[in-house]
Amino acid sequence: MNNDIPLSWFLYFSAASFAIGLTGVLLRRNAVAVLMAIEIMLNAANVNLVAFWRYGTPAAGSGPMPGVILALLVITVAAAEVAVGLGLILLCYRRWRAVDVDRYDTLSG
Amino acid sequence: MPPNVVPLDLRDFIGVAPAVILAVWGLVVIGLDLARFRRLEPEARRVACGRATLAGVGLALGSAVFLAWVDSLALTDSGRLVALFGESMGGYLGRTDGLIFLGTLARGLAVDVVNVLLLALLAMVVWMSTAYRFTDDLGEYFALLLWATVGMMLLAASEELAMLFIALETTTICLYIATAFERSRRRSAEAGLKYFIYGSVSSALFLYGLSLVYGLAGSTYFDAIGRMLRAGDPGLAGNLAGASALLLLLVGFGFKVAAVPFQQWAPDVYEGAPAPVAAWIATGSKVASFLAMLKVFVHALGPWSRPSESVMGPGWLAVVAVVAAVTMTYGNLAALAQKNYKRMLAYSSIAHAGYLLVGLAAASVSTEGPAAAGGVVYYLVVYALANVGAFAVAAWLARDKGADAISDLDGLGARSPFLAACVVVLMLSLIGVPPFAGFFGKLYVFMEAMRQGPSGTRIVLTWLVALGLLNSVLSAFYYVRVLKAMYLREPSGRPIGPARPALALPIVATAALVTALGVFPGPLVELSRSVAVPMLTARRLEAPAADDLPAPGAESPPGVAWRPETPTTD
Repeated sequence: MNNDIPLSWFLYFSAASFAIGLTGVLLRRNAVAVLMAIEIMLNAANVNLVAFWRYGTPAAGSGPMPGVILALLVITVAAAEVAVGLGLILLCYRRWRAVDVDRYDTLSG
Repeated sequence: MPPNVVPLDLRDFIGVAPAVILAVWGLVVIGLDLARFRRLEPEARRVACGRATLAGVGLALGSAVFLAWVDSLALTDSGRLVALFGESMGGYLGRTDGLIFLGTLARGLAVDVVNVLLLALLAMVVWMSTAYRFTDDLGEYFALLLWATVGMMLLAASEELAMLFIALETTTICLYIATAFERSRRRSAEAGLKYFIYGSVSSALFLYGLSLVYGLAGSTYFDAIGRMLRAGDPGLAGNLAGASALLLLLVGFGFKVAAVPFQQWAPDVYEGAPAPVAAWIATGSKVASFLAMLKVFVHALGPWSRPSESVMGPGWLAVVAVVAAVTMTYGNLAALAQKNYKRMLAYSSIAHAGYLLVGLAAASVSTEGPAAAGGVVYYLVVYALANVGAFAVAAWLARDKGADAISDLDGLGARSPFLAACVVVLMLSLIGVPPFAGFFGKLYVFMEAMRQGPSGTRIVLTWLVALGLLNSVLSAFYYVRVLKAMYLREPSGRPIGPARPALALPIVATAALVTALGVFPGPLVELSRSVAVPMLTARRLEAPAADDLPAPGAESPPGVAWRPETPTTD
């Protein structure tokens, strides 16, 4: 245990990837790239969950739901989200012949 | 080491029977559509699919009402349950601890009441969907509506963050697809993609906040988090990670309920989505998200609502108060400029989210305790009813005009006087004019905000209430424009045809309910308060109550099955 990487390293890593993902969402205009950035953010949270599970001391009465199970559930949910997201991007691509989110501007006001 | 598996009580599935029925029925509808209805004419097929879906909703509603009866018996006369269902089952049903599935979901009268409300609203939305043709994938469409509702019911019942996250995703993923279902229009696909991007970014933010809460509190159970905060454990509060966790959770919920500055998706989605889907996003999704938000913020993070002398540091009350003030003002001001009816309803729903956030802020500081959240529950019911009716009007416009501008309503008052009168009732209720229920909703929410002991927050909330009243006056201007179009202008272009029962019934039923609840608000107020209390106090039996202060570092009580395991390294 003493030779392990300290918890804070994992947290810095996940915070950094979360920031990278958020920057990607805000700056990239390509819908597929935005989708990838969202995945990075979800995975950052997963790193957090697993690291906290490995190092943390659960509170009294906190129940049988450790962070790894939660991380597994998140991976499943993320897969569903990607499937739906790619479907929607494809739908929009067929209409506009573009995957640029700025081009989809029928609705505004 | 052997895994310490907690046995799952299979009888727990009784508590989620309505959700199970809906989930299965989604498959039944798809199957029926594939096997039988696909050969019918489009018109007949739509009605057949709608009826098949309604049958499932009816079944689920029946099971929810039955559970409500069982749970009310458990509170008053549990001996009769044993006599009716036998020793083991009756004893199980008679339990009133209110948590199932290892404490991740709530059970009991409060959950049943919310389920009945959601299912009644769903029935109206499903029926509304049969009124006009916007898609040819009918089986899938109705199945998605059912599955979204499964997510909403679990969301409103969740007592643990992982369950909450999954339920939230179930709801929104189904709604992303349903939003993009209107194939003939570009704007529907665009609205679907916008909803997806905003929604999944907010889920990612929410999840990151959730992971921080899990790390700092060591638990994902609402009650355990609340207990830890009440004990003054500095793990969560008073540091950078705790503050970011709090803000990220607030951002996640802010997106779901469309609070400023996370409201951008709402107008586009409401305008682009087919009218029944927009109705379901505006009502079902909002009701479930707000109930979940109440639970997280008042039950789990309640002790951290306002600054105190201890280690807590600044709390969320001030943030929520500012967000509420900006949300209602922005929503009302932006709605004034709208020409599209659905877009106007979107901004109006943003404004209503602002009023509801005042209720959330009030519930955390009221001297009434958890019962104070009853005002928010009452408001949600009334708001949802009036909005379903208002969106039925949008479906009517889409059917006969193929558009949804406010000017398309011109001359409705002369053409169908009775329904126009019902729309007047709905609009007046949304403004908050007595004697309609919207007035009492606002009254109770604002009353709870005033009802608190002398403290620093009182002044803030008084200002908030004053702003809310001012905003109600402001909101009258754009709702009245609908009435002006109906009664004072001559019809132009294609006339609006007669509304058949699929459209007339939701409008008439919601108008009647809003009037009835306004004239006799008493029973629903009592019900809302009794729903709010178990919702915000549910806890595992073996765990100490949130109000007890456990000694720091105390060993887990013997009832807790899972113990921390120290990772071993060789």
